[in-house]
Formats: sequence, C-alpha cells, structure tokens
Amino acid sequence: MNDKYLVGVFDDEHTLVDAFEKALEKGVVIEEVYTPYPIHEILQGMKTRTHITHAAFFYGLFGVIMLHGGMYYAAVLSWPMQFGGKPSNTFPSFIVVAIVGTILSITLLTLLTFSVRSKIYPGRKADIIDIRATDDKFIILLNQENMGIEKDTIIKLFQTNGASEVYEKDANTTDKQLSNEL
Amino acid sequence: MYKTDIRGKLVDGDKSLTQISQDILAPIDAKTPTWWYIAMAVSLMMFAWGARSIYVTLTVGIGAWGQNNTVAWGWEIINFVWWIGIGHAGTAFSIFLLILRQKWRSSINRAAEAMTVAAVICAALFPLIHMGRSWLFFWVFPYPNTRGPLWVNFNSPLFWDFVAVSTYLLISASFWYFGMVPDFATIRDTTKSKIKRAVYGFFAFGWTGSSREWLRYEGLAFVLGGIAAVLVVSVHSIVSTDFAAGIEPGWHSTIFPPFFVVGAIFSGFAMVLTLVTLMKKLYKMDDFITANHVDAVCRILVFISLIMGTAYITEIFIAWYSGSEFEFFTFFRNRITGEYAPEFWFMFIFNALLPQLFWSKKIRHNIWIVFAISICINIGMWLERYIIIVTSLTKDFLPASWAEYHPTLVEIGFYVGTIGMFSAAVLLFFKYIPQIAIHEVKMISKYNTQQFDHLKPGHHDYE
Repeated sequence: MNDKYLVGVFDDEHTLVDAFEKALEKGVVIEEVYTPYPIHEILQGMKTRTHITHAAFFYGLFGVIMLHGGMYYAAVLSWPMQFGGKPSNTFPSFIVVAIVGTILSITLLTLLTFSVRSKIYPGRKADIIDIRATDDKFIILLNQENMGIEKDTIIKLFQTNGASEVYEKDANTTDKQLSNEL
Repeated sequence: MYKTDIRGKLVDGDKSLTQISQDILAPIDAKTPTWWYIAMAVSLMMFAWGARSIYVTLTVGIGAWGQNNTVAWGWEIINFVWWIGIGHAGTAFSIFLLILRQKWRSSINRAAEAMTVAAVICAALFPLIHMGRSWLFFWVFPYPNTRGPLWVNFNSPLFWDFVAVSTYLLISASFWYFGMVPDFATIRDTTKSKIKRAVYGFFAFGWTGSSREWLRYEGLAFVLGGIAAVLVVSVHSIVSTDFAAGIEPGWHSTIFPPFFVVGAIFSGFAMVLTLVTLMKKLYKMDDFITANHVDAVCRILVFISLIMGTAYITEIFIAWYSGSEFEFFTFFRNRITGEYAPEFWFMFIFNALLPQLFWSKKIRHNIWIVFAISICINIGMWLERYIIIVTSLTKDFLPASWAEYHPTLVEIGFYVGTIGMFSAAVLLFFKYIPQIAIHEVKMISKYNTQQFDHLKPGHHDYE
C-alpha cells in the first residue's frame, strides 16, 4: 500500500449509490467501496463475483461421499457386526448421520473459504482507509495511479453528487483534507 | 418489502447511523450496574453448586442420582432435551425469519443466537456426565482405534444425537461469531479505550467493511442460513428418535419428530421473549426492541401454542383410538389422571392454554404479563419432558418392574448449576458483546425514513 488514494466520503446510502453509479457511467475505475452494511447496488456494480455458494455445493458433495464411504468402510469392511441377521450395510439409517455430517462439512469448509478469500482471520491487522466506514460513513476509494478519468472531474463529480468530503490519502500518512481547500 | 404503516417502525427515535452504534454499544462503555454484580454472584453460586454436584457424580458414580433399573433416564435427559429445545430459538430466529424475510428479526437475533450457544453447552453437559466414565467420552467418535477397531453403531439414535448436537453447537457458535465480526470492527473504530481497541480489534479479524468482504459475507450468510435451517429441523427430530425408536408406551409414536421440533421452537421463543423483555427493561433498548417486536413474538407463540395443544390432544386421541392397552394406560391412567396428573395439567395449561391470552393486544403490550407468561411456558416445557420421560418409564409393560423415581439433591444441584452457567453467560453477553446486531439494524433503519421513497424500487428488497 504505497499508492496515493482519492477518498470520497458520503453520508448516506442513496447519495453513495447515486454517485457510485454516475462515476461508473463516466468510466471511473473504482478501487474499493467501504460501507457500514452491505449495499446490493455496490456489490453488483463492483463487478467482483463470489463463487462461495458453488464451493459450498461441492463441499457438500465431498461430505456426502466421504461420510457414506466412511460408514460403509467401518460397518461393512472393517468390522462387520452381527445383529439379528440384519445386513451390515444398513444404508437408509446411514442417511441421518450423513445429513448432519454433510451440514458440518459444508459449514466448516465454507467458513474456511470465506476466511481465506476475504482475508478475515484472527490476528489480522485491518487496513483502515477511513475509520468512520464501520460507523456511519460510506467511502469510495480510488487509486490515483488508475482512476480512468481526470482527478478534477472526479472530485467535481463527487461533490455535485452529495459527497460530504473528498480528500487525498497516502497509504500510512495522515488524511489531508482536500474539500476545504477546493 | 416491509410495510411500516402496517407493522410499525423497526427502529424508534429516528436515529442516525452513528446514534445506532452509540446506543447499542452504550452498555459496553457504561459503568457496570450494581444489579449486574448481584446477578452474577447469584449465578456463580448456582454454578458452584452445579460444579460440586458434577464432582460428586464423577467420584461416586451415577449411583449418586435417583435413577434405578426401571427409570434409567431421569432429570438429566429431561434437562438435556429442555436445554436443547431452548437452544433452538437462536437458529430458528436467525434462519426461519431470514428465509421468511421478516426484517424485525434484526434487533433480536443476536441475543437469540447467544442464548443458543449457552443453552447447547448446558445441554451437552448432561449426556456427557450421564455416560458415567465421562473421561472416556471420546469413544463416541468414530475413529480408527486399538479396541478392535471397534466402531460406533451408526444405527443408534444416541450416536445420531451426539453428531447432531455437536454439529449444532459448532454451527450456531460460528454463525453467531461471524455475525458479530462487523460489529466488533465498529467497536474497534469507535471506542476511545486503547485496551478495547486492541481486544475487539483482535476479535474483528481485520474487518474493514469493503465491498469484497461484504460480498463474501453475504454469500456465507446465505449458505449457512440455508443449511442451518435443515439442521434446526433435523437436530430435534433426532433427539425425538431417542424416544420414538424405543418401544416404551407413550414414546413409540410417529408424531414425535414434528412434536419435538415445534416444542423446541416454542420453548426457545419463550426464552427469547424472557431475554428481550429483560433487555428492554434493564438496558433501555426500547427503541430497538419496540412493542411491535414483542408483539410479533407473542403472535408466533399463539400459533405454536395451538400446534402444541393439537399435538397433546392427538396423542391422547390416538392412545384411545389405537386400541393398545399399554398406550391407553399411559395416557389415561398415568398422565391425565393418576399420580402425575398435576404435572400433566400444569403442562397443558402453561403450554396450550395460557399463551392463548396473547390473542389480546392489551396483554401482548403489557411487558410484565408477557414476561410472566414466557416464564410459565419455560416451566411448562420442562414439565412436558418430565411427563414424557417419567410417566412412561415408571410404569411400563410389566407391573412387577414398576418403580418410582425421585431426583436426588445431586441431580437438582446439577440442573441448578446449568441454570447458573446459562445466566452467567447471558450476563457476560450483556456486558461485553453488542446485544443487537448493529450493522443489521443500520441496514433496516432506512425503512423508517423518507429517503426510502427515493430509492429505486426492487433493488432494496434484499436480506
């Protein structure tokens, strides 16, 4: 994080969404948006897609196969038990454990995937752009190396669309208020 | 879409986003009230009695309890089922109301999930100690071992139970925890205390609120929500097979799985009601938990209570209609009449009749009556498990083997100990964790304001 950033601060969801959509129309390249709660227009507009739900399906498939395989191995191959002449492979009653075990494997593996892909894990230090983003401000972050269009145009665009502040920020330096100067 | 004019406001007081954070986090920053210390001391004393009872049980053996050859399951299994039932509310609240798009769930689900985790831990203690040689509990795990290898019996409802309860504990705990991560980040970023910033910062796992995080977070909530719904239904169905797969009169019944699931959600919602009325009164969370929230839970309870009443009557009817003399004896001579009749009728009144008072709006809006009825339902649901277990076991097929069952002081202490553990956990939750999901309340608060009219239709109807 040695880049220079341009930060647009918005006070509520609908001004953020308006400015966000107008900026996308103008061809602005948006690095990231920070919000206190998920906003679907932003998630759709950011173009990043997640396959976590598909991954979950395959974790489930993996779980079902492993559980049935494991139970078959234990009950039929490894140590078949005699109880009342019933078959060792009591398949339908394996289903109960398989359902719950599958749910367990989906949960644990999906959590792990989430943790790895979103980089949310114990001991991680947060890269906070604007400390108010988890409280009440909605932040659009642009990387000055690659913004798509002129900086001044973007600042004007943000301000005319209800940004409460626009400022520049170096990574690891204090915030420099731009809006007061402009 | 949520219709404010019909269902009332979700958040009172026209709060700004930052006010929502401040109001919900107030108990964490405020000086701990005196009642909290008193309540904590009482809880810990109860817990100490429980710990002593567990010590006695482990050193003396199960003989310290009142069980005998006829009644081999006593208070421990009653309490186990009772706690598991209470533990169902958290996931039921989070998941079923999420699926049904009930936005009012947002201010209650955190407390319900916290309660779930505490209740399931209390529940898990009972079978663990009941094993007798609890230090060998890991023999329940199916792992390659040097005892044969001797595997567990995959056809046994008791093994299903072990799998279901441990899965339920893991999933509800992780669902609860990941729901809190964005709120821990809010505490980290708003607190003035350096210690809190460091501690909550650690637990926030580096959350920043970026769109990439939210995108996967929503995906995760969707997956966990979807599969946990299956789990809620399956866990208590499995608990019910502990009984239904046995041939005892009064147990061997196909009605048991739905009966148990509904009963679990019933007792869980009642416990949620107990908790939210406490949060309203003790922590002044009235703006978030409005009269409409309590109202909505009460209306659900009316509905579930009707199902409970129907189930009780169905059981009695089938006992007569089936023509089985053992079933008939159990229900007509040993439940609705006989020495356990008082317990049966208290159960019936508390679970099937008393909640019918919630048809009246006046009663739904009187917080003290609501609180009292929620406690009565919890007692009623305990009595239900008592009736199922004790009446069926004391007098089964062979009169020569009939026996009485009375709990010993050690068993009572064990139960009281888990109540102490539960209340201590809830008190810690009140003090150190945001009682209400801050980011979710922020998300729904927009439905109160005029700004919502400007938003494009169709796009905001998420959750």
